[in-house]
Amino acid sequence: MSEPVLALENVTAGYGRMTILNGTTFSVPRGGITTVIGPNGAGKSTVFKTIFGMLPARAGRIGFEGRDITNLPPRDLLAAGICYIPQGRNIFPQLSVRHNIELGAVTAARRLDDLPRRIERAFERFPALREKASVQASTLSGGQQKQLEIARGLLLDPKLILIDEPSIGLSPKLVQETFAALQELRAAGVTILLIEQNARSALEISDHALVLELGQARIFGPAKEILHDPRVAELFLGGLAHD
Amino acid sequence: MSTFSTLIVGGLATGAIYAVVAIGFALLWQASQTINFAQGEFVMLPAFFALIAMGMGAPYWLAALVTIGMSVVILGAMFKQMLVDPMIKHGVLPMAIATMALAIFMKESVKDLYSAEAYPFPSLVPDRNLAILGANISLQHIGIIVTAIGAIIGLTLLLERTSIGRQMQATAQNPTVARLLGIPVERMILLTFVINAVLVSIASLLVTPIYLAKFSSGETLGLAAFIAAIIGGFNQLRGAIIGGFLLGVVDNLAAAYISTQYRSAVPLFILIAVILFRPHGIAGRKEERTV
Repeated sequence: MSEPVLALENVTAGYGRMTILNGTTFSVPRGGITTVIGPNGAGKSTVFKTIFGMLPARAGRIGFEGRDITNLPPRDLLAAGICYIPQGRNIFPQLSVRHNIELGAVTAARRLDDLPRRIERAFERFPALREKASVQASTLSGGQQKQLEIARGLLLDPKLILIDEPSIGLSPKLVQETFAALQELRAAGVTILLIEQNARSALEISDHALVLELGQARIFGPAKEILHDPRVAELFLGGLAHD
Repeated sequence: MSTFSTLIVGGLATGAIYAVVAIGFALLWQASQTINFAQGEFVMLPAFFALIAMGMGAPYWLAALVTIGMSVVILGAMFKQMLVDPMIKHGVLPMAIATMALAIFMKESVKDLYSAEAYPFPSLVPDRNLAILGANISLQHIGIIVTAIGAIIGLTLLLERTSIGRQMQATAQNPTVARLLGIPVERMILLTFVINAVLVSIASLLVTPIYLAKFSSGETLGLAAFIAAIIGGFNQLRGAIIGGFLLGVVDNLAAAYISTQYRSAVPLFILIAVILFRPHGIAGRKEERTV
């Protein structure tokens, strides 16, 4: 395995007195899609928040491309090439779609003289957003809002994308579109770390899978193997046996 | 008819001041969930900064600049750092009550440290009447309307046309996501407080020539701005503008045609009617907030 793009070593984090991540250790290889699976409360979202500096790591080390990024603020992480798309609605409802996307480059706007071209590229990727470029983002459908968030995240050409539950509340067709967008990004060499409630469909498009339980990484392996691992299926994929 | 136009212009002038103060009120709410019940006193105090500066021999323009500067420091930055930041952790209601305490503190401080008297205050525009199409229009009222609308347009351009303005809007609409995108959320909130300080000092320079500088002069104004913000729609600047102008005009007409005695009840009637029939305000919308 080549040098991992992201590595967590003994990371501890939580909310108040509650510790969620308790010495979490894992690494993510460069390129490809890695899906994080695990039961509710396993700490999947907490891992993302901790990596992205939204929740302080109380102990341990987080490395990105060999560099220590533990507890860096989002600004520095964006500059390093990481982008985080949390679950739920993450738009500014009363700003226009174009202005929403532009804000993705706020940390770098001064040195980006090609911002219009980057936004144009985002519209090429998601044509539905172009049609709505100048209307309030609140008028977008759920799927389009997710597209907006992805487009905004891609503005700074991240090397690593952390995306949490992108398919929640989307119609099957839009889920497919979103997954297709992730696959395109993988083809372009971006590393994607994905949390997905619809774990089985996610694993089908993934290269690697990470099983998280009680804030600890239990298994890391090829997605196909984990998809067909009966224990994992029974525990985390909603009972393969019933299908 | 001529009296009517005079009344309308007078009402628009009062309304313009209400609108400026109500916008500041709504901005603070949007950026930091601060309901500032001292907003009226925030308009009262800058006039005394100006009086002190002019007492030391400063010409009007310099006194106005000093007033805005001192307001930015005291009513903007210090207000945020010393009262809002420590209190907001305890919730919106304790915060609102703390601002009521601040209002009393400001009134009593001015009374004790300066004076309990009412002081005349110079006007930006000379108080002369113009005869326009038979109507007697006060030049001072026109000056107030022009200055206030200028301030509102300036603020709107800042919010809508600049990246800083959109970062401020983003911070108000979704602070968590703003932070994720690397927007300096704290600085944007501070900037909102600074803008409110500028707005209240402009309102102070406009209103004090009419109502005199007195420690208690913020009471009615603060209430009017609060009602204007609510009837217009608490969460929309447009709402604060509509609410301000509407209240000013109705207030003036009611005083002339109904009764001066009931004048101060009229805003409350409008408030009740709006709350009954349009609870989100005339231009407001449902709160969509991710906290």
